Amino acid sequence: MCHTGVVYARTLGRTTYTFQVSGRLWRNSLIMEDRETGTSWSQVTGRAIYGKHRGTQLERFEAIETSWQQWYAAHPDTTLLKKSEEVLGSHYQRYFDDPERLGLFRAQWLADRMPGKTLVYGANIGAHALAVTEGALDRTEIVQGELGGAPIVVSRGRDSGVRAFVTRVGTDEIKLSRDAESGEVRDVGGSIWDLGSGRCISGPRTGARLETVAITPVYWFAWSGFYPNTQVID
Amino acid sequence: MRRAVKVAILLLLSAAVPVAAKRPEPEVVATIGGEDVYQLLPVGAIPAIDNPEFVSGADADQQMRPEEPVLGVVMGGEARAYSLWQLDAHEIVNDQIAGTAIAATW
Repeated sequence: MCHTGVVYARTLGRTTYTFQVSGRLWRNSLIMEDRETGTSWSQVTGRAIYGKHRGTQLERFEAIETSWQQWYAAHPDTTLLKKSEEVLGSHYQRYFDDPERLGLFRAQWLADRMPGKTLVYGANIGAHALAVTEGALDRTEIVQGELGGAPIVVSRGRDSGVRAFVTRVGTDEIKLSRDAESGEVRDVGGSIWDLGSGRCISGPRTGARLETVAITPVYWFAWSGFYPNTQVID
Repeated sequence: MRRAVKVAILLLLSAAVPVAAKRPEPEVVATIGGEDVYQLLPVGAIPAIDNPEFVSGADADQQMRPEEPVLGVVMGGEARAYSLWQLDAHEIVNDQIAGTAIAATW
């Protein structure tokens, strides 16, 4: 409904949980229910909204949305979840294609800054949130901003997936730009960075690694509903 | 005049009723942060995948359309993709990658 693919850890403390589809919607998005305690978890935020674990936050991992072709080219050793039957399209294509349909229920906090079905790349650190539009990524390629006081960079990788990193090594803030001739991403000290992995691959900072910030591709109506105070880079 | 307004309202209401009746009436089961939680389907009606199986990239390439959207994750040097067309019907995969228990959700 909100176009959000998210990967979460299933372990809390020493216990591993399994999740099922609750059949419930909150803010037009999936509520997951763990089988062990029946706690309800928001799929968009990974936070337990009611039940035993209420208030607990699931750890999330970087996951990207791209096409099979681009994913396979960048990750030739990948495996794929086996299909038990042929699937030739999305059940939701008409919903995705209709700019007027914003979930099933009226969004309470739809910010009218852009059309509700605009796909944005959302990142959050706690309650601090940032949304980067496709337009900003197309125009700038390496989008640098701030999230909850941390400098961050948002860009597309070789597999065309959008990733974000905190651009800080120790106490140094790293300013990045793409070299027009070589296409390499460099910092002002001459180090070269790979924005697919966040690693410094050459130069004085070789071996340094930037902290990942998980990105959620998400419709604007949903993101602005969960994070009404989100910053926007468009 | 008043009567005319009443009639008009009645007409509007009766016109509205069949439209409203066609819509499903999801049950509000909770209100969180001022927003209602609706129960649309029974728990588990959309079946999560609990025992995922995998195919190699080469086999997958025979089944997948080039433009087919995927959710991709790399952990501990292992890369894995999930077709989003397939996840439409499941929404959650209870999985494990490189020894870490994860849920891929859509």
